[in-house]
Amino acid sequence: MARMKFLLDAERCIECNACVTACKNEHEVPWGINRRRVVTINDGKPGERSISMACMHCTDAPCAAVCPVSCFYTTADAVVLHDKDLCIGCGYCFYACPFGAPQYPRVGNFGSRGKMDKCTYCAGGPQADNIEAEYVQYGSNRLAEGKLPLCAEMCSTKALLAGDGQVIAQIYRERVQKRGYGSGAWGWRTAYRETVAI
Amino acid sequence: MLIKRSEARAGKQRLAAAYQGLSSGGLDRRAFLKQAGVTGVGLAALGAIPLTTVRPAQAGPMNHAQPVTRVKNICTHCSVGCTVTAEVQNGVWVGQEPTWESPINRGTHCAKGAAVRELVHGDRRLKYPMKLVGGQWQRMSWDQALDEIADKLMAVRQASGPDSTFWLGSAKFSNEGAYLYRKFAAFMGTNSVDHQARICHSTTVAGVANTWGYGAMTNSYNDIRNSKTIMIMGGNPAEAHPVSLQHVLAGKEINRANMIVIDPRFTRTAAHATEYVRIRPGTDIPIIWGILWHIFENGWEDKEFIRQRVYGMDDVRAEVAKWNPAEVERVTGVPGAQLRSVAEKFATQKPSTLIWCMGATQKTVGTANVRAFSILLLATGNVGGDGNGANIFRGHCNVQGATDLGLDVTSLPLYYGLAEGAWKHWSRVWEVSYESLLARFDSKAMMEAPGIPTTRYFDAVTLPKDQVQQRDNTKAMVVFGHGGNTVTRMPDAVKGLEKLDLLVVADPHPTTFAVLANRRDNTYLLPICTQFECDGSRTASNRSIQWGYQVVKPIFESKTDYEVMYRLAGALDKAAEKRNMPVRFQAEMFKNIEVRGQEPVAESILREINRGGWSTGYTGQSPERLKLHMQHQDKFDLVTLRAKADAPAEIANDFYGLPWPCWGTPEMRHPGTHILYNTNLPVKDGGGTFRARFGLERNGVSLLADGSYSKDSQIQDGYPEFTVAVLKRLGWFDDLTAAEKASLERHFGANIDSASWSTDLSGGIQRVAIAHGCIPFGNGKARANAWNLPDPVPVHREPIYTPRTDLIAQYPTLPDRRAFRLPHLGQSVQNRAKDLAPNFPIILTSGRLVEYEGGGEETRSNKWLAELQQDMFVEINPRDAAARNIRDGAWVLVNGPEMPQGKATRMKALVTERVGPGVAWMPFHFAGWFMQEDQRSKYPQGTDPIVLGESVNAVTTYGYDPVTFMQETKVTLCQIRAA
Amino acid sequence: MRALVLALVLIVAAPVAGHAQTNPQVSGTPTNPTSMLPPVADELEVIKALQGGRVAGRITIPDQQAANLIQPQGRSWRDFHNVTLAWVGGVAVLGMLGILVLFRLSKGRVPIEGGASGRTIQRFNGLERANHWMVASTFIILALSGLNLTFGRHILLPLVGPEAFTAISQWGKYAHNFLAFPFTLGLVLMLLLWVKDNIPNGRDVKWLAQGGGLIGNAHPDSERFNAGQKGIFWITILGGAAVAVTGYMLVFPFFFTDIAGMQLSHIIHSIVSVLMIAVMLAHIYIGSVGMEGASAAMTTGQVDLNWAKQHHNLWVERELAKGRAAEPPASAKPAGAD
Repeated sequence: MARMKFLLDAERCIECNACVTACKNEHEVPWGINRRRVVTINDGKPGERSISMACMHCTDAPCAAVCPVSCFYTTADAVVLHDKDLCIGCGYCFYACPFGAPQYPRVGNFGSRGKMDKCTYCAGGPQADNIEAEYVQYGSNRLAEGKLPLCAEMCSTKALLAGDGQVIAQIYRERVQKRGYGSGAWGWRTAYRETVAI
Repeated sequence: MLIKRSEARAGKQRLAAAYQGLSSGGLDRRAFLKQAGVTGVGLAALGAIPLTTVRPAQAGPMNHAQPVTRVKNICTHCSVGCTVTAEVQNGVWVGQEPTWESPINRGTHCAKGAAVRELVHGDRRLKYPMKLVGGQWQRMSWDQALDEIADKLMAVRQASGPDSTFWLGSAKFSNEGAYLYRKFAAFMGTNSVDHQARICHSTTVAGVANTWGYGAMTNSYNDIRNSKTIMIMGGNPAEAHPVSLQHVLAGKEINRANMIVIDPRFTRTAAHATEYVRIRPGTDIPIIWGILWHIFENGWEDKEFIRQRVYGMDDVRAEVAKWNPAEVERVTGVPGAQLRSVAEKFATQKPSTLIWCMGATQKTVGTANVRAFSILLLATGNVGGDGNGANIFRGHCNVQGATDLGLDVTSLPLYYGLAEGAWKHWSRVWEVSYESLLARFDSKAMMEAPGIPTTRYFDAVTLPKDQVQQRDNTKAMVVFGHGGNTVTRMPDAVKGLEKLDLLVVADPHPTTFAVLANRRDNTYLLPICTQFECDGSRTASNRSIQWGYQVVKPIFESKTDYEVMYRLAGALDKAAEKRNMPVRFQAEMFKNIEVRGQEPVAESILREINRGGWSTGYTGQSPERLKLHMQHQDKFDLVTLRAKADAPAEIANDFYGLPWPCWGTPEMRHPGTHILYNTNLPVKDGGGTFRARFGLERNGVSLLADGSYSKDSQIQDGYPEFTVAVLKRLGWFDDLTAAEKASLERHFGANIDSASWSTDLSGGIQRVAIAHGCIPFGNGKARANAWNLPDPVPVHREPIYTPRTDLIAQYPTLPDRRAFRLPHLGQSVQNRAKDLAPNFPIILTSGRLVEYEGGGEETRSNKWLAELQQDMFVEINPRDAAARNIRDGAWVLVNGPEMPQGKATRMKALVTERVGPGVAWMPFHFAGWFMQEDQRSKYPQGTDPIVLGESVNAVTTYGYDPVTFMQETKVTLCQIRAA
Repeated sequence: MRALVLALVLIVAAPVAGHAQTNPQVSGTPTNPTSMLPPVADELEVIKALQGGRVAGRITIPDQQAANLIQPQGRSWRDFHNVTLAWVGGVAVLGMLGILVLFRLSKGRVPIEGGASGRTIQRFNGLERANHWMVASTFIILALSGLNLTFGRHILLPLVGPEAFTAISQWGKYAHNFLAFPFTLGLVLMLLLWVKDNIPNGRDVKWLAQGGGLIGNAHPDSERFNAGQKGIFWITILGGAAVAVTGYMLVFPFFFTDIAGMQLSHIIHSIVSVLMIAVMLAHIYIGSVGMEGASAAMTTGQVDLNWAKQHHNLWVERELAKGRAAEPPASAKPAGAD
């Protein structure tokens, strides 16, 4: 099976936020939940770069390691998913996650967290593929339809790549060789303990 | 279950009201529907109108067991023209998929394009016609609304004349809608019909058309992939045209191209540049002349190109000589060495393209700026080839098409102008007599006089009658698809709006017009559907025309533009009859247009455009051909846009979207023109020359090209535009078929010799010229000196409100004058502004955010977009912020020199080095707060945009381009203090 | 055709030639940042990673946590949670249980010397007892639900299965969040009620030196509270304060602090909690089955006079001097009645 990853080419990302709204659109993600977001570092200065970030579906995922109720699981495609029926909204995964991926709907009073929500790599949840119950809890399951995450598919400059790790690393490597510069595969060291060798 | 999280402490109270309806977010759309239904029923009970006509918006997860229909349309936001693929199930738009096959966007979108599905859910859409009664919104039926509006319009027309009605159209119209609206104004008897191009690229159109023929982007987004030097000046495509960056960055990467960004602001585009030049706002001409100074100094200009194809470059040399590096640095702040490097790259590492946007155009010297840019391209021989050219990124999805189709106070559709010949041409196309058109106007003079532009409509309302050169002030205003916060001097606009006898807003949203002024009556809101609920073609910035298919039927009670115009015409007939006025509308206007039920058919309107659009080559793009292109999008090449070898025969050799000019009849199968003025291709294959538009000679110097001609041309030198007389002189007259000759004789009779390529309805003249390898509009020189403009060679003129008052004496704005029926007091205001400048030490400039578009009413109502920008803000340099004790994210008060005493706007500070010291920047999409008044409660219930904020135009000031009355939005002054 | 020319306003203006003034003051004068480029993103990532810092930037949504791009500290926190906390908690709780077992085995139950007198003296009034039990009961639930978050998945989950375990943990989370409030309230009351008797003094040193009478056989003097009890008091108050403050930070996520603060809060909260749990195990033991006569203090509030004299001789003397004679139980016969 493929080892699915995200790769963000910061030399291409222009903070257009298409990935963010594509995600909202595809999964009807409610206001206040940001499965994906774009952060700009060195804002307004030379060297400014924008980075689109979501769950990176880490190898040895920290969220899974710290979850008190063991609600995470990894699919055959190496996508890190979780079972909302088991999640208790404790917030531990957010403390452990290097990328700030977990999101919590605010329920009840004083900001107590509801069940965690995060990027599913457009791979739905534990239910049967593409049934309504899955959509309601996790959003659509594009992977089951043979499609890739919509954020990457709709990225305006094709900065955000999704797919098998080796394939997207190769695309990125060719790009860097062609243009002669690159700012690294963002978050790869942290998520996958490796980087793309050029 | 995903549940709403009401994050945002700061935004919480303000957005509290806005959240209603968003509650629980997207997933329980059904809950929303229940809510909407309840409101609807309540109102229905009050108004006793059955709800059966309301088509509810609905959505839900796609049912994978049911079939899904895929429908293609075009994104309704910027001008790139991204194809949107909608997945429709049971008449509901349930999903959006990437359109890999589109050569323009190749599946991708920006934030707006990826969120368009929300527009057709329409939580915040206007749901049915409404009017203000004593300050309260009241629901009404379509028939009643149109009857009342028609009656009031005819009352104004009867009392004050047709010119007292003002028709503001939209760059969001389809081509067919825009054309119909222009025709509507013509039948009403006024030229006061305008749209967003006035405040977007009107100066580009004027400046570029006056240089080489047509006022449009010469190449395409895709063609930028061929460039070796990409210079972007006064534009931020990373935010305004994000998908264009796909092509720009590809060019940068594949060719290792230089990407030079010249801008006062370090934009998201600048972040990707290989070189960034920060300039003082309003000094574009000195920068261009400064670059040209180095080019001329080093002999880097393209001498052969200039000799063959450019008129008057020596006049430019004389002006450029004044702009030595020292003077450039004194005025602009840019050191000479940096400009030398820019000049060398631009002139020697070719092909070079110059991309510009509103940073260049929205200036008191907008036309001159654009002219200077064009001259730089001419001097370096960078026009008319792969990878070069003036890549003018237009704003809205169909601002190019709406401009082409004449939503312009100076022209009938397709740039025919307003002179008698133009009216006669269109009367032939419309099959109505010229005399009957003339009778609709106050006089022949008014028929040929440019109307009131949108930048000054309120002046036409409020100025003393004798200062407005028409029978009476503007009394009634009809707005289709346009925001009320897009025009500068909003405090003055409020006064104008309050004085109007009638205000009609036809739009998917109420828009700022509905709430800005304190109107209590005679204000109507008509719900118009979006282009996703409508068929029609739209023209992207690169002149490619794409057909959009209706995705779903109009939601709620909204109607298409076509239907509303048709029914309004009918209502006007009734009103005229009642008032014993002889004028009639519907039957004449829609004489040759097929109407299904109450709705004119888009294809039929396009065919009428095809029958009349000779001057701009809008004749070959039949609906059938456009639909074939949409069907076979994958068959077009990414870089050349040409149909690939494996394309089916019916699109073989075509350029994608048949970019205009697409000469002759559809049957002639001209492929369209990917790159304008490209002499490397035969005309029949999309080649061309500069247009011989300005006469044959000037002061003894020929204006025709000298030894340059398009490939395979049988005339291997310059030649004038083609007329019957020219054909006869060349001995080609008998190449015309009998039918073509018959058509010419029928329409022109004894004057047949005067019939030209642009007025011959048979297309014969074009066909014959092209058969001989010649371009119908003639082979002329581009003009470096455009003698008919206020500044024939552009000269620097300080902005009206400049911090450099020391430069005003040397570089003053133009003296006061009149134009467009109104006074233009530039110099008087500049002289007064000089004294105010010390109190307003910060330059205020403005621009676009990626999440929003235009006035922002539609995008601020889209919950997926609104979440990303929840506050109006002003960017301020850390140095200025520190001096004022302003923290990042804190509230500040901003006021401008023309705001009423004691008033200020309130917004958040974004402390950033994006702007230099002494410069502040604001996005222009916000409205709904006006000088600290929250106007949310003034919207009809449930239609208020989620995010409201102060408008930059509450602060902006007087200042107009002399040629087009483009407003100055990019340079004014302001003061900022902590709130 | 002339008609084809764009109808433009053809007004020719004579540019006014002016004389240049020399005023070098320029507002909005650009500064051209051409050199001194800050490091590009990749370097930045490396630098931050080496420094252990976060990579943060600007974001437009109001959730400023989202502006953190990468926070490698998550890894440290994970190590803390999965390794350090598990060890510290395990050692503290199990260790204390072990100590108590050893203590019991070696010393048995601490008896009342000379047996119960049958006469009692009021040790705690109703308010004090009610408050004690409010704190005690909430503490136990907080402790159990807290321990569950760290150890439940290893101990309870395999026993009850995921659905039941989630139900337990979910209710545990609600209980934990809501009972935090009565717990804190109780701590405040406790402080007010007992602080005056818990000020440490010289006698406490002596008491400690003599092993509190539990180790060895001395009978050190003691006021109302001996040093051991004072220790419990202060551990409860100070530890409780630390746990409460950090707990509220956790219960209102990011209201007071950022991700680093949240992680630190959790670390303090959990470490202090497991240590308190260990201490409280000893307190519970000695206050119940570990010592004869002790439990009465918090049940009826009346303790046997002999027990009181044995453990709090100075307090008893003072109480008696105040004239508050020790009362026999209501059921007890008056002396000499038989």
